[in-house]
Amino acid sequence: MNTVRRSGNGIFSMNGREWSLLVACLLAITIFSVASPHYATSGNAVTVLRNSVELLLIGLGMTLLLAMGGIDVSIGIVMGLAAIAIGRILGADGSPFLAIVAGPMAGAVLGCVTAAVVVLGRVPAIVGTLGLLGVYRTAVFVLLGGQWLSGLPSSLTDLLSTTVLGIPVAAFAIAVAYLAVWLALRRTPYGLHLLAIGNSEEKARLSGIPVVKIRFATFVISGVLTGIAATFYVATYRNVEMTIGSTLALDAIAAVILGGTSILGGRCSLIGTVLGVLLLRILQNGLLLIGIPSLWQPVVTGVLILGVLGFEAVSNRLPLARFQRARA
Amino acid sequence: MTAPFLVARNIAKRFGALTALANVDLEVRSGEVLALLGDNGAGKSTFIKILAGAHPPSEGEIIIEGSPVAFSSPKDAAASGIATIFQELALSENLSIAENVFLGRELKRSILGIPFLKRREMRQRVDGLLQELDAHISDPEAPVGSLSGGQRQAVAICRALNLNAKLVIMDEPTAALAVAETRKVLALTRRLAARGCAVVLISHNISEVFEVADRIVVFRRGRKVAERLAAETNHEEVVSLITGAHPDVRALEKTN
Ligand SMILES: Nc1ncnc2c1ncn2[C@@H]1O[C@H](COP(=O)(O)OP(=O)(O)OP(=O)(O)O)[C@@H](O)[C@H]1O
Ligand SMILES: [Mg+2]
Repeated sequence: MNTVRRSGNGIFSMNGREWSLLVACLLAITIFSVASPHYATSGNAVTVLRNSVELLLIGLGMTLLLAMGGIDVSIGIVMGLAAIAIGRILGADGSPFLAIVAGPMAGAVLGCVTAAVVVLGRVPAIVGTLGLLGVYRTAVFVLLGGQWLSGLPSSLTDLLSTTVLGIPVAAFAIAVAYLAVWLALRRTPYGLHLLAIGNSEEKARLSGIPVVKIRFATFVISGVLTGIAATFYVATYRNVEMTIGSTLALDAIAAVILGGTSILGGRCSLIGTVLGVLLLRILQNGLLLIGIPSLWQPVVTGVLILGVLGFEAVSNRLPLARFQRARA
Repeated sequence: MTAPFLVARNIAKRFGALTALANVDLEVRSGEVLALLGDNGAGKSTFIKILAGAHPPSEGEIIIEGSPVAFSSPKDAAASGIATIFQELALSENLSIAENVFLGRELKRSILGIPFLKRREMRQRVDGLLQELDAHISDPEAPVGSLSGGQRQAVAICRALNLNAKLVIMDEPTAALAVAETRKVLALTRRLAARGCAVVLISHNISEVFEVADRIVVFRRGRKVAERLAAETNHEEVVSLITGAHPDVRALEKTN
């Protein structure tokens, strides 16, 4: 039983894991500042935060999925498809407001498709979303016809890549998304049901929880968050390339489990996910600036995942954990 | 005698080629503790899972207070006043006591159409129930996974009490308990019956059964082979019914 530890219920509850991540972020920043003269600039700080927007939104949804004992490895390409929908609307000189609605809508529809396959089709989430990943990759290729969507009009950018009262619109969106997900997780029956399902689907069912409904809803919520991420992506880059989102799922899973969410479900930390995303992006940006090619970025992510899982496996076998399990 | 709370008629359950239950007729009365006995694999847990709505029966019908019911989920059974404490307890180890007691039927208030948990009220209700059960738990916010076997059983019983169940089903509630905790659970079983609840208790401990049960039903290889009033039978007879050495069981098994 490795679910004995319990994350706090507060909106920013921090445990050992979260504090360690914060320290790791600060440590990484310090080391990179010393190693590269280009690192400690306000421009670079903005770059790191800007690069974190999509991953933060997607990471919140991935946290819910993993806490429920689910996963979605197709999430990056889902963002790609939503981005294509937004791009097509902008490209046809559609209203930017329509484009803003289109992102989450496309995400919701694709979330329904994923849920239909995984939840209604009773396919293990890892297998089902891997299958969808293959299908969606081809869909992106076909939709883009081998070319980028580029040079999109700036109407969406004008709306979203600005500041209100000195605060970027993206920051507002992330704050609202964080608050909404936190409320749902810690303050409504939905959150309890989700964690119960993550602990044991069968026990949740025996407790009278509507397991199918909760699982379905969670895939849709993750889809909507991904659609919002797509909106900010298109607003920022004003193009959609063939390889869009190809490392996002790996990054999101890495950030979430770095943050202390259990890969086995039943336990999660939202603030941990935020810190996990920041650490990941700080490392990726810093390594680039000290001259390590971006080719190596997935290696860093992979090593982080293996490191955390290895650490958890070992610490579960330590005498203290064994004692706690014996008591449980 | 009052009409039974629940009547099970001709219940059968098959898992693929395996017949786990066949031809089971049984009545459960309010205010009475009914004990189900039988060897491992006799079909006791399967039978109560049907009563609890966790398995649909392959055949037969269940009648509650005179009207037939068809449960498609444990939630349906709960709505009919049946609370079940499963052998595997069905508690969520990662959630707190109050969260477990209310899981699936939380107290909530609606703000802008969003159902928010009433955590404080749930906690107060659970503290009251735990006190009533005389269960001492030092940290009620701790996850249930960190509690002892007896404490977990108390949490499961709280869940049943909280439902205001008319029938409480307990599958081997004392199997993992120390002596003192077993006594508490048995006393509680009697208390439930005294409140007018019907209680179905599964146990392998025959002396325990004689202590609390009004009626004893014995299962063997998926069939009900005997039914006795506790006052009209004894330890030896019950053992021979379970093992199949009893002449009645032999006669029955020959005809089948
Ligand atoms: N979900 C299932 N799928 C297939 N077979 C099952 C299932 N549940 C129970 N069985 C089988 O049905 C038979 C009756 O099992 P059951 O659990 O009801 O016995 P029991 O009387 O509760 O035994 P015990 O005293 O060991 O708890 C067994 O042979 C068991 O293997
Ligand atoms: Mg059993």
